[in-house]
Amino acid sequence: MKGLLIDNFYATLSNAKIFSVIVVLLGIFVVAMDNRIPSLIIGYMLLVIIGYSLNSIASIRKESVTKWSQYKLTTPIKRANIITSYFISLCLWLVIGIVFATIGVWLSVMLHGYPFDKNTDIFMLFVVGIGISLFMGAIFFPLFFIGGEERNEVFLVISLLCGVGGVMGITTLINNFFPEGMTCVQIILGGVLILACAVIAIVLSYPITVCVFRRKEY
Amino acid sequence: MDNILELNQICKTFSKSNFTLDNLSFSLPYGAIMGFVGENGAGKTTTIGCILNTIAKDKGTVKLFGKEMQDMDTDSREKIGVVYDGDNFPTYWTAKQLSHVMSGLYRQWDSALFQKYLEEFHLPAKQKIKQYSKGMTTKLAIAAALSHHPCLLILDEATSGLDPIVRDDILDVFLEFVQEENHSILLSSHITSDLERIADYITFIHNGKFIMTASKNELVYQYAVMRCRKSQFLAVDPADILAWRKRDFQIDVLVPNGKEAERKYKGVVIDHVSIDEMMLLFVKGEKR
Repeated sequence: MKGLLIDNFYATLSNAKIFSVIVVLLGIFVVAMDNRIPSLIIGYMLLVIIGYSLNSIASIRKESVTKWSQYKLTTPIKRANIITSYFISLCLWLVIGIVFATIGVWLSVMLHGYPFDKNTDIFMLFVVGIGISLFMGAIFFPLFFIGGEERNEVFLVISLLCGVGGVMGITTLINNFFPEGMTCVQIILGGVLILACAVIAIVLSYPITVCVFRRKEY
Repeated sequence: MDNILELNQICKTFSKSNFTLDNLSFSLPYGAIMGFVGENGAGKTTTIGCILNTIAKDKGTVKLFGKEMQDMDTDSREKIGVVYDGDNFPTYWTAKQLSHVMSGLYRQWDSALFQKYLEEFHLPAKQKIKQYSKGMTTKLAIAAALSHHPCLLILDEATSGLDPIVRDDILDVFLEFVQEENHSILLSSHITSDLERIADYITFIHNGKFIMTASKNELVYQYAVMRCRKSQFLAVDPADILAWRKRDFQIDVLVPNGKEAERKYKGVVIDHVSIDEMMLLFVKGEKR
């Protein structure tokens, strides 16, 4: 497993380096700007959290250019381990995104004060970012192995849209369930529900992806 | 004699390309090098895929080290080194990064041995693989395949596209590898001169079907080609013919025993047969 994680790390590294430079520059800009209108900070948080996750899953394609995907199957690892490593890598890059987002928000709040109406808003932004990332991974991995590497780009777009759609759909349901003026507890419960659905989606996606990958021929 | 690799009645059909690997059976003894020969699309890579479980076979059994290898049998794969033609590893890696990954995959990965091969093959450890030449890339793949102390090397067209000097270096490495009596190599190649140099056995396949396995000594000293005129060809016992091919003014007939044919068919020119010529007779000629 260690070798697979290192492999995934190298696959993501060069793109992640470029993305990190942008994230840092954008972060400096966002932190430097007055945050009375919080759209910049909202955009930054979502971009950073989703961006690292997207980068992680997009890098799988890089392996298929060579015979490495085939070669890996000849090494002493099980097919399920390869899939496990992709899911773990996604989660690790998601954590990195969360850390960068947290630093940006924290610095902005420290310098300019709290920019949102409710205390729960930052929590909900993290929920949306994490939720979209997890839904996106849950959709992408099985699609990638069912549809083939050459359709990687369209699957990335579909997964991202499904991720956004999934979170928006659940949010709409929650809003319908609690009509007017949700309390903080209800908002947090709603957030937890979104997170729970995203986690369930990724947990369900894992055996499906393993099942698909077991039939994959190289 | 014990076999490190045994294929028994392997079948695999690709419905889209209409290709079938048809009841393929052969075995590779411990301590031997087997050349695996066939035209493009004959099924060599598919066979190797079935051996290594990168392709699911429809029927038949593959035994490696005496047992069938499943996805769970990571111990068996620990003992196999693989080299494919072309880029085996992501080209954005360096050899050093390759070693890091491999050390996390193979329990027996020997970083010092890998470093030794890098020096022997003049491969810069910190240069990205995409900046390597084709020869360097192949050497790197061979170094990686050998650095976890495998018992079986499976090489799929590993020497194709390389110049004779690099090939010579690589063949020396293979010969050194089989000095250990429990080490074997299955080498699929189009370059029959390489096989003539190092292989102990040659297995021919054609259009997904097994043709024959013969030891190299048999090929060199027993098999022969009779250069017949039409009248001579008509007089040849069909039981003596493995394959025949009509040329401009003669018919080439592959026979399993040149000396016996010499005694039996007086006045017919009989030549030694090369692997290339045998392949041509099997692929382009008529079979008995």
